[in-house]
Amino acid sequence: MTTTANAESTAETTNRSGLRVDRGSLRSLILYPVILLAILGLLILWLLTADLTNTERVTLAPGELWTMTKQHLWLTLVATVIVLVVAIPLGVLLTRKPFRPFKGFISGVANFGQAAPAVGLIVLFATWIGYGPTAAIAALVVYAVLPVLANTMAGLDAVDKSLIEAGRGMGMSAWAVLWRIELPLAVPLMLAGVRTALVLVVGTATLGTFINAGGLGLLITTGVNLDLSRVLITGSILVALLALTVDWVGRVVEHIARPRGL
Amino acid sequence: MDYVAERWQQIAFASWQHFSLVAQCVILATVIAVALAMVCYRSERLREFANGLTAVGLTIPSFALIGLLITPLGFGVLPAVVVLTFYAILPILRNAVVGLSSVPSALVESARGIGMSRTATFFRVELPMAWPVILTGMRISSQMVMGVAAIAAYVLGPGLGGLIFSGLSRQGGANALASVVTAVIGVIVVAMILDAILALIGRLTISRGLRV
Amino acid sequence: MSSQASAEGQQNGQGAGQEVTGVPILLDGVTKQYGSKSAPAVDHLTLEIPAGSTVMFVGPSGCGKTTTMKMINRLIEPTEGSIVIDGEDVTTMNGDELRRRMGYVIQAGGLFPHMTVAANIGMVPKMLGWDKQRIASRVDELLELVSLDPGQYRDRYPKQLSGGQQQRVGVARALAADPPVLLMDEPFGAVDPITRQRLQEEMISIQQELKKTIVIVTHDIDEAVKLGDWVVVFDEGAHIQQYDSPERILSDPANDFVADFVGRGAGLKTLGLARVHEVPRMEAVVVTPEQTPAEALRQAEESGHGHVLVLDKQQRPIAWPSVEQLRRAEKLPHIHEENLPVVGTGATLEDALDTMLVSRAGAALVVGARGRFEGVVDLDTVMETLRDRRAGENQPKAPVGTNDEDITLERSPETGEITIVPSGGGAR
Repeated sequence: MTTTANAESTAETTNRSGLRVDRGSLRSLILYPVILLAILGLLILWLLTADLTNTERVTLAPGELWTMTKQHLWLTLVATVIVLVVAIPLGVLLTRKPFRPFKGFISGVANFGQAAPAVGLIVLFATWIGYGPTAAIAALVVYAVLPVLANTMAGLDAVDKSLIEAGRGMGMSAWAVLWRIELPLAVPLMLAGVRTALVLVVGTATLGTFINAGGLGLLITTGVNLDLSRVLITGSILVALLALTVDWVGRVVEHIARPRGL
Repeated sequence: MDYVAERWQQIAFASWQHFSLVAQCVILATVIAVALAMVCYRSERLREFANGLTAVGLTIPSFALIGLLITPLGFGVLPAVVVLTFYAILPILRNAVVGLSSVPSALVESARGIGMSRTATFFRVELPMAWPVILTGMRISSQMVMGVAAIAAYVLGPGLGGLIFSGLSRQGGANALASVVTAVIGVIVVAMILDAILALIGRLTISRGLRV
Repeated sequence: MSSQASAEGQQNGQGAGQEVTGVPILLDGVTKQYGSKSAPAVDHLTLEIPAGSTVMFVGPSGCGKTTTMKMINRLIEPTEGSIVIDGEDVTTMNGDELRRRMGYVIQAGGLFPHMTVAANIGMVPKMLGWDKQRIASRVDELLELVSLDPGQYRDRYPKQLSGGQQQRVGVARALAADPPVLLMDEPFGAVDPITRQRLQEEMISIQQELKKTIVIVTHDIDEAVKLGDWVVVFDEGAHIQQYDSPERILSDPANDFVADFVGRGAGLKTLGLARVHEVPRMEAVVVTPEQTPAEALRQAEESGHGHVLVLDKQQRPIAWPSVEQLRRAEKLPHIHEENLPVVGTGATLEDALDTMLVSRAGAALVVGARGRFEGVVDLDTVMETLRDRRAGENQPKAPVGTNDEDITLERSPETGEITIVPSGGGAR
């Protein structure tokens, strides 16, 4: 999918460049949703003025669209929550001393798995678990664990070792150092990983339609199968808008949650 | 296993198709991305524009883009190549801009100072110095586009992605699972091979003075 | 304790009457071994650190000085031996609680970048459960101690501070809960030389006020002799090469290793240790501006001096003309001459020598409070003082430090105090 990029090297290039698109530019954060709304407005206007066939009208009924959007968001949300619950503690664990030796192995497996095509994973899980949302969520989780895991570890590893020593040196327990120093300092990188995962999941959830998991992808497959180009275009644009919106929300959260003083 | 043994040739051909599609698109994307980066890297505003474009492009789900392109371009090779090249451009563009703009300006000045032309400076100094970063972008791109190519099979047909969709269409039928598993593993293997080739190219083409 | 006397002798004779708030530390046969086959990083080290004194650990990198220091607060656990602080064996107590009772300063301050200056300093008090009010007033008090204006700096983030300011906050943070012991790991290594000098001077005056037990790890012998009451020179495996006063380390190195480490110019370094007030001062021919040059000349010839000092009514030097200048002059100068070779009583002998070298008289005028003239020092008197200091007379005996395995410790049953009875040759 779109961000199948090896998350570790992505993080690396972002770090090396120091270039972040949202670099302090509050203006672009505000402008972003305005543009998205404008595109949505144009789409609605186009649909209202177009001469729709009966099938198209049924498929594109507002209630129907809303249901599909909710399904799509539900898939995304559940998968992302599971990813966070799995990947963040795992990332913390793998950066603790006794578990460090496993870090290379786990990262290797995760990287390796990341090269698997998303559509293949979804179909695979469907054949195994059965068609429906559960299989889709399982595939999404497997797919999105890596960026969060990699960025959690990268964020924790990037914390200056002397700060950890300073914390221990002033009598903070290992637990307190983790909670009060390491995690807060790792937040920016971790959030970037979460946003990457979210965008990945929103996009990949589109493929859920192949295994009857619902979501906006249904519009695209319906459009192709029944040769309804308006449905196809509407579906594609809605999916893109949804992904961009999720990305925007992620950026806003990153902007707010970044610890001051960094 | 039997499945693989029986259709060895078919699988090998599908893998080759997958590989060649991705490799060609990445090469095409590299040319386009470096050309775009050449235009952008000198101006702070254009750099930010290029970065914004990359970020937005990477956010758009590939399946949505494929869907959008079916109407104007129809089915077949063309939409697949366009989509793959589009996604392949993004990481390379980002890295090329970063790589080119982080060449120390003192170096560029000294190259100009010894009488190299603007073009010569670009091709003999700036591009070679940015090359390792660009190559990293190509590796990221090829990994990413591998997966996109599997989805592109929806409009294209053949390739390893085709095996996935044919498995899907014969749901529950004989060999459906085997076909999907083969395709998934096939894509991973092809991805690793392409990555290894790019790594090798890196070893051969990156100036020894730049290797750490 | 004898160490207090030595600290006063060292540091300008000030701070008399200040109470020692530090406690003694004893490393008893401490060994740190990484892996079973390699040579120990710290080898059977027994070291006495007297209460209220500043002990400097110096040595080449990898000599085990940092490891030794980190075993005192058990950031590194000793393989063998015990750590005794204020008579209490802390080798097995909870490490986190132990560390809350000690200040710890690392290079560049080690401030937490996501917390304000106040939050950084208030960290330990917060862990110790102080209430907000008390923490806030303690933070302000400490900022003032390290010469930072609380109103201006309290709510800043570390990145908004200069390197020297960060280091000061680091020291303030370490002192937050008023710990009796302060451990510092290369504390002034990351700042520029001028800032380092200022921080060192401030450290000296803070210590004169607080009288903590301070252990400082440094690789800089100049810093060691400047800040330390006692200096330990380590070689690999934390083998003590010499544990002595800065003067004796400089003037009487125990072996070639120490001599090499001290390097050339040890005599010059001693100049930085001694202060002008220790040098005996000589009289000068003193006149007032109202007198005539002839009178001044006569006085000079009577006493056999080559220069005459003109003082104003407040006894401040106006000019210091030579006999030759007086012969040409029609009257004595009334206006204060710039660039007079003047040094304060607190200046180091190094400063005094610098001043003398540019002075036409080859000597310097010593002034005390409010610029009042107190006497003259010249090259001869300075050298004599140096010779006396180098002889190392009137200095207290150094604390015990050895890698000898056969050492025994005796605990006094009444006071609980620990005394060291070296069965071998004693302290090297």
